[in-house]
Amino acid sequence: MRVTIECCGASARWCGADAITLDLAAGATGNDALDALAERYPDFSARRDSVAIASGDAITSPTAPLFDGDVIALIPPVSAG
Amino acid sequence: MSAIKSLPRLRDGALNLADWLVEAQPADAGALAVFAGTVRNEHLGNAVSGMTYHAHRGLAEARLREIEAAAEARFKVHVLVAHAVGVLAIGEVSVIVVIRGGHRAEAFEACRWTIDTIKQAVPIWKEEHYVDGAVRFLEGVPIKPVESL
Repeated sequence: MRVTIECCGASARWCGADAITLDLAAGATGNDALDALAERYPDFSARRDSVAIASGDAITSPTAPLFDGDVIALIPPVSAG
Repeated sequence: MSAIKSLPRLRDGALNLADWLVEAQPADAGALAVFAGTVRNEHLGNAVSGMTYHAHRGLAEARLREIEAAAEARFKVHVLVAHAVGVLAIGEVSVIVVIRGGHRAEAFEACRWTIDTIKQAVPIWKEEHYVDGAVRFLEGVPIKPVESL
């Protein structure tokens, strides 16, 4: 299945793109997507555990299953204010 | 609902403090506490020329409204918040918290809790522009749920 990853904030620099398409096995979770990004992008790998995942307008569990066509967003550590 | 309450809390460009103070003070309120964050010209010894604020717009808008509701329930005050996105210059206002409450104690406490919670629970990122031409995202904190704060 294919999912789209939107790279918010500094994660766009770590991954070198504002959005990335990943091909994942059926039944893959958010954690699997993060693992795939960590394998591909060393700068992301170093920060993987500090990143949350958003789906729509909510934070979602990294253990939640993904489905073909899903769009999720990387939420790196925040610095509002 | 007042006109200001119907506006998006995430705004493009610098905020105008006066715009967020137009509501009449409730008759039962004896305190008005305001916090405004502005872009500073220095960070850790580096000369800063400006700041770009990035956001996950949908989640940031939802979180700002969630924080307002949580602060109103917790401190029994009226709360209004706004945050800027986009490029801001030195001295421009990036975030505003307006608290109207019965007494100064809960107004100050609510104001402090609200800005501290915004900093930890809203998906917004500062990208600093330095005088020497460098650009860098600031280190942040892993995002937390509002109910945990």
